[in-house]
Amino acid sequence: MSTANEIRQTFFQECDELLEALDDGLCEIDEGIADESFDLETVNAVFRAVHSIKGGAAAFGLDALVHFAHQFETVLDVMRAGELTPNDDVMKVCHRAADHLSDLVAAGRDNEIVEGDLGTEIAAKLSGLVVGSESAKPDNDTESETFGFVPLGLPIPTNTDDEDQELALNRFCVRFTPSAGLYTSGNDTSLLFRELAELGELEVTAETDRLPDLKNVDPGESYLSWVVILLTEESEQSLREVFEFVDGLCELQINLDLDATMPEGSPDATKDVDDEAQASSGVAAEESDSPTMVAASSPDSGTERAKPATGPKATVRVNLDLVDRLINMVGELVINQAVLTQCIKDAGLLDRGELSTSLAEFRNLARDIQESVMAIRAQSVKPLFQRMARIVREASELSGKDADFLTEGETTEVDKTIIERLVDPLTHMIRNAVDHGLEPPEQRRAAGKAETGHVKLTAAHRSGRVLIEVSDDGAGINREKVFQIAVEKGLIPGDSILKDAEIDNLLFLPGFSTAKEVSNLSGRGVGMDVVRSAIQKLGGRVSIFSQPGKGTTMSISLPLTLAVLDGMVVDVAGQTMVVPITAIVETLRPKAEDIHPLGADNQVVSVRNKLVPVIDLGVVFGHRRTPAPISDMVLLLVESDGSESWALAVDQIFDQRQVVIKGLETNYGHVPGVAAATILGDGNIALIIDPEETAHRSGPVADVGDRARLEEV
Amino acid sequence: MALRDSLSILVVDDMSTSRSLIIMALEEMGIKKIDFSKDGPSALQSLGQRPAHLVISDYNMPGMDGLHLLHALRQGKTTQKIGFILVSGRVDQKILSTGRQLGMNNFIQKPFTTPQLKNCIQQVVGPL
Repeated sequence: MSTANEIRQTFFQECDELLEALDDGLCEIDEGIADESFDLETVNAVFRAVHSIKGGAAAFGLDALVHFAHQFETVLDVMRAGELTPNDDVMKVCHRAADHLSDLVAAGRDNEIVEGDLGTEIAAKLSGLVVGSESAKPDNDTESETFGFVPLGLPIPTNTDDEDQELALNRFCVRFTPSAGLYTSGNDTSLLFRELAELGELEVTAETDRLPDLKNVDPGESYLSWVVILLTEESEQSLREVFEFVDGLCELQINLDLDATMPEGSPDATKDVDDEAQASSGVAAEESDSPTMVAASSPDSGTERAKPATGPKATVRVNLDLVDRLINMVGELVINQAVLTQCIKDAGLLDRGELSTSLAEFRNLARDIQESVMAIRAQSVKPLFQRMARIVREASELSGKDADFLTEGETTEVDKTIIERLVDPLTHMIRNAVDHGLEPPEQRRAAGKAETGHVKLTAAHRSGRVLIEVSDDGAGINREKVFQIAVEKGLIPGDSILKDAEIDNLLFLPGFSTAKEVSNLSGRGVGMDVVRSAIQKLGGRVSIFSQPGKGTTMSISLPLTLAVLDGMVVDVAGQTMVVPITAIVETLRPKAEDIHPLGADNQVVSVRNKLVPVIDLGVVFGHRRTPAPISDMVLLLVESDGSESWALAVDQIFDQRQVVIKGLETNYGHVPGVAAATILGDGNIALIIDPEETAHRSGPVADVGDRARLEEV
Repeated sequence: MALRDSLSILVVDDMSTSRSLIIMALEEMGIKKIDFSKDGPSALQSLGQRPAHLVISDYNMPGMDGLHLLHALRQGKTTQKIGFILVSGRVDQKILSTGRQLGMNNFIQKPFTTPQLKNCIQQVVGPL
C-alpha cells in the first residue's frame, strides 16, 4: 500500500481538483447573485472543498493551511446556515480567500512558507464577515477526549477458527414456475438448480399439485413448480443472475427469509462454493444496482436533492516522467520508421507490393500511437484560465478599475508543457489588458461605456493549431503615442511611414514600454518582447489587433504539441528543409503568365486573381544569391493567422511525412525563420522553417516601403 | 486467532488522501480485511455484496454524507447490525446527537494518530 509520502503527493493532486471545484463553485454563486438565485448545494460543495483541504492538511501538519482553511470554512459554514447572504463584497473576499488558499497549498507542496501579511489581511476580512454569527462560534467548547460520545460496543465473535468463515448466511426462498416456453427454448431446470447449488446449500422441493392425470397430460405443457431454499452468502442479485437466461420464461419469486438468516458460525455451507462462481458473480454485481441501494438513496433529508454527481471519470494518475519517456520513445519510433523506409527504398524493395503495404501500415500505427500518447499529455486550459481569473481580480483591485472576466473554450485541450509555459506570458498579457487596455471608470463613463470593463480570454483549435486570444474593451492602442515613443527610444527613424498594424507591433520590440510611470502592475521591467519570445520558444506566434475606442485583441497561435509535426520535406537549393503542413494552403506550379515582376529582384504570382508575393527560400536562407527562375520551381502557398499570404518557392517537394521536432533553442537561441530541426530517415538533419517568420524577414519584399508599393499593384 | 485477522472493515471517504490515511493506519494495526468505497451509495452496494463487520466513514461527502449512510445502513435488513464509526474534521454536537440517535458506534475527529484510531475501534469491537 501507499507510503505516507505517496499519500502526501496524492493529497496535493487532490487539492488541485478541490481548488478547481472551489473556484467553479464560487463562480456559480457569483452567477447566482446576478440572477438572484441561490443554490444551497453549491455552497455546500464549496464548503466541502475547503473542508477536505483542511482535513488533509491537518494530517500532514500543514498548520498555516489548516488555520486559514478553518477561517474560510467558518464563513462558508455561516453562509450555508443562511446567516450570511452572498453579495458582491462577500464574494470578493471569498475569491481572494480561495486565491490565498491556493497559494498556501502551493507553499505546502514546496515546503515553503507564505510570506507577507496578505493572509492576515484576508483572514481579518473573513472574520469580519461572521462577526456575531451563531454558527461561527469556535467549536472548542465541545473539545474533550470523547466529545461526550459514549461508544457503542459491537459484539464480534472471535471464535473464528475457519479462515474462510464468512459473516452471515442469507436464507433465500425461491419459488420457480417455468412456462412451457422455457422448455421449448432448450432450457433445463436441473441445470439451473445445479448452478444455484454452486452458490450455497440448496434444498429443492417440487410442487406437483398441478400435474394432471397421466391420460390428460399434454407433453408440451409445463406443470411443475419448485420451491428452493438456498443458504448462501451471496446476495439476491447473484441468485437472479442464475435465472437471467430464463427471464420472461418463468415466474420467479425470491424472498430473503430474514428471521432465518443464519448467524455466523452456522453449518459450514460455504464449503461447496466454487471460487470461480464467486468471483464472477462479484464482478457482475459491481455493474448492477443492488436493491439495498435503491432503498437507501431516499433518506428523508433536504440534501438529497443534490445534483447527480457528474459521471465518474475513471482516471489513473501517472508519473509525468513516464509519459515523457513514452513520448520520447514514440519520437524515436517515428524516426526509426523513417530510417527503415529509407533503407528499404535504397535496397530497391519499395516497389514490392506487400512490403510497401506493410510499411504504410507501420507508418499509420506509429502515427496512431503518437497521437494517443499526445492525448495523454493534453490537458484542458481550464485551470490556466482559472488562474487568469485571479490575475484579473488582483489587477483590477490594484489599478482601481472594475473588470469582468469572461472566458470561452475552457475545455480546449493543449499539451501540458505548453499550458505550463503559457502561464507567465498570459499573466503579463492579462495584466496589460487591465492596466493599459482598460480605461479608468471616469474615462469609460465619458466615452459612453459601462464603467466595468471586460477582459475576455478565449481558446480554440484552428487548423491544427491552438489559438488563444486576450481581448479588452478598452480604448485601444494610442498609436500616436506608441509611434512617438518608438522614435524617442530610437527604435524606428522619425520619418518612418508605418501602417496601423505595424505601429501596433512596435509594442513587441525589445525595450519598448508605454507606461509613463512604472506601475505596480504590468510595468515590472518586462515588456511585451518577453511575451513574444516566450511564445516563440513554444513554436508560437503572437499578434495584436486594436481598434481605437473599442479595444485591443492579442492573439497567440500555438502548435498542438511540441514533439512531432506533419511536414512537407522540400529541396531548397540542394538543402533539405521541412515546412509544417498546417501552414501550407496549397502547392502549385505557376504558369508563366501568372508571374509578375515586382521591382528588380522580386516577383508576385497571381493566384485566383490575388497577387501573392513570392519568396525564394534559397535566397532567404542564403543558399543562393539571386532568386531562381520561378517557372522551374514549386510554390507553397502559406497563410498567416492574420490571413496574409505568401508563396514560398522551393526547388522540389520530396515527401510529406511526420517529423520529430528537435529544438534548437537551447543550443542556438532563436534563429529567425527557423522553428526547429529534425532528423531525417537518412540520418541527416533538416531545419523546420517557420513560414510566417520567414516571410516577414525575407529581404526587400517585407520591407515597409516595398510592401506599401505592393498594396498598390 | 486474533480479532484483527478476522475483522473486516469498509472505509468510506470521497477523498483518496483521507481514505489512504485510514487504510494505512488500519494496516499498521494489522487488520487484514480492508475494503473501501468512494461514496455512500457504492458503500451500500459493496456491503450488499460483501458484508463487513465495521464501517469507518467520513462525514463530509457529496450527495450522501456519513450520517445518511448510517441511516441507510440501519434501514437495510442485512446491514443494520454493522458497526459504524464516523470520521469528521469538526466536532459538532448536532452531528453527534443525530449519530447517537441513528445508532452510531463511535466517533473520531480528524486528524488522528494510529493509536487513537485503534483505541476508537477497540471501544467498539473489543481488543484487537
